[in-house]
Amino acid sequence: MITNLLKSLYTKVFINIIVENLQTTVYVEVCSKKDVLQSIRRNFETITINPKMYEFIQTYIKESPFCYISVLDKSPLQGAIPTCVTSEMSRYCDIKSSEYRCFSKDWAFYTSEYDLEAIKYEYRTIGVDFIFSPFAMMANFFKDKIDATLSMFVLVEDNYLSFAVFDNSKLLYAEYLDMKHHKDDEELLMESPEEDEIEGINLEEVNLDSDSAVFDDFSDIEELDESDTIDEFAETEVEQIVEKKVDVSHEGFSEDYQRFSLIQSALNTFYKDSKYDSKFIETIYIADGIGVSSDLKSYLEEEMFLSVYVRKIDLSISLCDMAKAEADEI
Amino acid sequence: MKYSYINPRKKTIFTRDIQLLFTFFIVTLLMLFSAYSFLVFRDNRFTQEMTDIKLQKDEYRTNIPKMENQIAAIEKQVLLSEKIFTKNIVLRDSINNLFDLVPNRITLSEAKIMENALILYGITPNKDVYNFMLQAPLRSIFHRTYSSFYPADNGWLRFVSTNYIDNEEELSNED
Repeated sequence: MITNLLKSLYTKVFINIIVENLQTTVYVEVCSKKDVLQSIRRNFETITINPKMYEFIQTYIKESPFCYISVLDKSPLQGAIPTCVTSEMSRYCDIKSSEYRCFSKDWAFYTSEYDLEAIKYEYRTIGVDFIFSPFAMMANFFKDKIDATLSMFVLVEDNYLSFAVFDNSKLLYAEYLDMKHHKDDEELLMESPEEDEIEGINLEEVNLDSDSAVFDDFSDIEELDESDTIDEFAETEVEQIVEKKVDVSHEGFSEDYQRFSLIQSALNTFYKDSKYDSKFIETIYIADGIGVSSDLKSYLEEEMFLSVYVRKIDLSISLCDMAKAEADEI
Repeated sequence: MKYSYINPRKKTIFTRDIQLLFTFFIVTLLMLFSAYSFLVFRDNRFTQEMTDIKLQKDEYRTNIPKMENQIAAIEKQVLLSEKIFTKNIVLRDSINNLFDLVPNRITLSEAKIMENALILYGITPNKDVYNFMLQAPLRSIFHRTYSSFYPADNGWLRFVSTNYIDNEEELSNED
């Protein structure tokens, strides 16, 4: 009682760390009850904790005893599985060396215990309070769509993609895709002639030709584009993407293509692997955390005939929101 | 909602600074409390002592008349003792004088000393010795002197000398 009373006198400080390809973004929110008193974002040219970053974080740690440090998990050995029963988990991953949390009774997300320890060790000087899975973040972000549709959901991070297929809040398939890991393969693919490349991506891999009934659903792509659901995002996200289209570099182009290939291969795995209850997917929702170009959208629309919806996500703010929700439960 | 892989570190408002501050306050409060306790104790003790002294004072006050009476009685006793002492000295001197008064030839066998009288019993070789050597000084001391003789076995005379000192009041009355 007294502790709660005293607790209310203090501000809460949420420090959120997102490690990107070459830099680390630290987002700090100083909150008093439900109001955000201060929010600061700073990028550091490091992927580990350096003295500048340490000093910056320390200044906010000292502000309140109720300081929560959150890190977004980047473990390549993480994922999500369509069960929350421990005995069934081993079908999908090595659960003995993994730490998992059930998002709902239908699905869980997991990560490598070793990588969790590595994160704790990396930030031992400042300490870590929460380590969140990008799958949990994505599920929270697309909660409205996950509960009501059969769709693919992708959270785009720098170098990573969290890919999941949900059927009315039931997880069918999920994979954490590492762009670096697949880079070599993709480079080889990019070196090949353009024609081959396009052919390689073509419907052969998606394997839609064989399923004529499903293919009928793609009969009128223009109709899909004009549907109400697309309009929901059309005004905002698409416009932003069009604006950024001008700045797309060759690197950005290749990265988006790489993302597209990863999504494509993940979808193939979902269709082909008998472990998963595969269903035909028509829609993809993309949570764009880095600002992808419109190329990705066009690849997905043109090559895979998917209805693509792109929503901007601020990873730092989403991470902060999750930390707030966790902290409120304590 | 429990989406974090790890549990947050325990947060406490009792940071090192707060702990130091609390320790300081606790020590200060303890010191104040001990000082207050000491003062209260001293105050109580002082009040107790004051009450005791008051009681003692009252007791002394009630005892003063008694003691004054005792002192008066003692003073009286002292006076009496002095009087007796003086009287004894006088008596001793009188007895000494009496025995000095008795010549060697006369032997006293008994002497009764009273307040205003002296009765002497003894043996004298003859009346003259008695009359000249003993009765004459006795007469000078006492107002009235009576003597009676009767013979002893050895031919001497036994005598009884009765001497009185009259009070001045009696004398004045007689006058």
